[in-house]
Amino acid sequence: MNDNRSAIQRKLMGLVLVTSGVVLLLTCVGFFSYEFFTFRQSSKERLSTLGEVISANSTGALAFDSHENATEILEALKAEEHIVAAGLYDKKGNLFARYPGNFPKYNLPLHPAGDGYNYKNGYLEGFQAVIQENNRLGTLYLRSDMNAIYTRFERYGLISLLVVAVSIFVAFLLSRQLQKKISEPILALAKTASNISNQKDYTVRAKKFDDDELGVLTDAFNQMLIQIEKQNAEILSFNHALELKVNERTLELEQANIELKLRSEFEETVIDSSVDIIAVFDREFNYVSLNKSGKTAFGITDKDVIGKNILEVFPQLKTSVMYHYLQKVFETGEMILDQRYDSHVSDLIMQNFFIPLLDKDNMVYRVLVIGHDITEISKTHEQLKQLNSELEKSNLNLEQFAFIASHDLQEPLRKIQTFSQLLERDLDNKESIKRHLSKIISSAGRMTDLIKAVLNYSRLSNEKGDYEEVDLKQVLDSVTSDLELKIIEKEAVINARDLPVIYGNPLQLTQLFLNLISNSIKFSEKKPEISISSVIIDKREATATDGFNYNGTCVELIFKDNGIGFEQHYAEKIFTVFQRLHGKQDYPGTGIGLALCKKIVDNHDGQISVKSAPGEGTEFKILLPANLSNKH
Amino acid sequence: MKIEIINKSFSYTAKTFCVFLISLFLIFAFQLQAQTSREYSIKAVFLYNFTQFIDWPATAFSNAESPFIIGILGDDPFHASLDEAVAGEKVKDHPITVQRYQDVKDITTCHILFINRKEEGKMKEILSALSGKNVLTVSDMADFAAIGGIVRFASEKNKIRLQINLPASKNAELNISSKLLQVADIVR
Repeated sequence: MNDNRSAIQRKLMGLVLVTSGVVLLLTCVGFFSYEFFTFRQSSKERLSTLGEVISANSTGALAFDSHENATEILEALKAEEHIVAAGLYDKKGNLFARYPGNFPKYNLPLHPAGDGYNYKNGYLEGFQAVIQENNRLGTLYLRSDMNAIYTRFERYGLISLLVVAVSIFVAFLLSRQLQKKISEPILALAKTASNISNQKDYTVRAKKFDDDELGVLTDAFNQMLIQIEKQNAEILSFNHALELKVNERTLELEQANIELKLRSEFEETVIDSSVDIIAVFDREFNYVSLNKSGKTAFGITDKDVIGKNILEVFPQLKTSVMYHYLQKVFETGEMILDQRYDSHVSDLIMQNFFIPLLDKDNMVYRVLVIGHDITEISKTHEQLKQLNSELEKSNLNLEQFAFIASHDLQEPLRKIQTFSQLLERDLDNKESIKRHLSKIISSAGRMTDLIKAVLNYSRLSNEKGDYEEVDLKQVLDSVTSDLELKIIEKEAVINARDLPVIYGNPLQLTQLFLNLISNSIKFSEKKPEISISSVIIDKREATATDGFNYNGTCVELIFKDNGIGFEQHYAEKIFTVFQRLHGKQDYPGTGIGLALCKKIVDNHDGQISVKSAPGEGTEFKILLPANLSNKH
Repeated sequence: MKIEIINKSFSYTAKTFCVFLISLFLIFAFQLQAQTSREYSIKAVFLYNFTQFIDWPATAFSNAESPFIIGILGDDPFHASLDEAVAGEKVKDHPITVQRYQDVKDITTCHILFINRKEEGKMKEILSALSGKNVLTVSDMADFAAIGGIVRFASEKNKIRLQINLPASKNAELNISSKLLQVADIVR
């Protein structure tokens, strides 16, 4: 079947063909079964009739004992091809004649049985009485094969096949034409419907063929189309009105949007231009916004933070005060000002404002956090505080200095005054004049020394000087050369080992060495022996032994002598200005030397300490940072 | 007792021989007798069977129930066998009776007449006497059919064949069934 035919056409034709095929088949089956049974019956009857004829003919032979005649009569059965065997029995039931002549006797019944024909063992066989004038002369036996039925059925089957084939073909031809009656209106309707659904053209109408149900369907379809078209028009006009309204609204909205955008941009610009960090969080602690300053400070972009939880962005804030306050504001709804907050995220110091944003039910729905960077202010503040404390210390020093200076400086002045008065009284006595004048000159010289020393000290307090690499060995050499006369005079011995190069002020360090060595020479009653040693120790050791707090390697210098020594409880006192342990007469000096030493060590961020006992000698221990470059 | 006395006078051998001869004779005679009687009993049945293959005109019977008469002319070779064969039988409604005649003149009504072969010499007389009567003449004498009889029993190879003279049967107004003619030889 070539198939440019539609599905419905194929179905209709299939319907017709299947129906006619089944009907034909059933008819054939009925016909065959009818034939089968009637033919069996008629075969029986025909055989019976044949038997009648044969038996009628054979009466004479039986009556007059003529075997030839009987055989001859039975031979006539040749004409009936389906007769396989026949036998004629006489009155006593003995076989009289048989057909075919050579048919084996044992294949025929020995004696006749009851009259009548039956199908048995694939044959139709039976007995029939041979009667003449109501007188039974004998019995005829006939046996017919079934080939007749088979032959007949073969022929019938062939005919049926032919009839069915022709019928189906005719049915096919007929159905091809007749199905159009039904399929054409349906196809037309379907085509119209698909055209409409494809092209959305509702003005088309389906063609009506007949006034049958399909016609009604077409009418209903067209009615529907009219309805749709009408509704379409309504919808279109409604749409148009709606569109106009939408356009109008859109225009308004756009206007509003532009305004809003401008305003929002303005606000955004304002917020972004703020130097403060401005962030907004929602109830879930997610970032709603973060201004430019914040992004710059944290080194992040909108993509990293917006919509994300604060702890997701900065997990380190979990334990921070900032996070705590954020929670608190959401809980209490009250503004919080955190005056000082050391950021966990950057190294900034902030002043944080936590401002709750309330919705119309007065519930906190967001929190605005403004972080004001007070790092610089704070640093300046710190510096100011330090400066202040230094100033206070300096003031204290100055007060002390003024008190001591007034006392110590007054002493030679008073001497000058006293001896001047004595000189005035004894102007005649040359001897006393000379004595008094020498006293006055000595006091004046002492005063000069004092003033010089004070100036030296104050200068040291005020200036830091230049720092460079200083070879302490060279420093020691320069000092021993300065003190050469005194060393020779007192026969002093100086032993020094392994003096390092450190970073410091060469002049101050020279002063330090000079003061310490000259002190050792001065405060001795026997030949002075001075040893200077140096060890490099690391920070941990220094901290452990002396509580010295410095990041880095240190140099430990030890100045040890065999001088007069002092009670250990003076160990602190001796570094104070004008503090003296011995009379000026016993050991001359200004009382500023060791104070100066302490000042110098302090200037180098070092530490000085002393260990002594009367008559046991004295040991100064000085800790100095090996490298000061990172500090200055 | 008499035989025992005679036996004493004959020798044993002669006696045995005598008994043998007598026995032989008896057996032969008996067999002959048996053969003759078997042949005639068949012929008796044939005579009866003729009634079923041959139609007699209605005029041959005085009424519907008058007897059908089978006659034997001359000595009766059938003895009882014919009477046995037809005992109680009827041709249509006519009961069959057997009549024995010594002379043709004795015959008044007869439908089948078996003529003993010993009557050969009287044939002309007999036939002319029966001429025009509806009588089926039957005999086993030679040339019976040829000389004007209707049916002849001819013995042939131990079997009995029929010879029929059709014109004679026509003369007797007898209608012989073709089935009968089939098994018979037609003689002119």
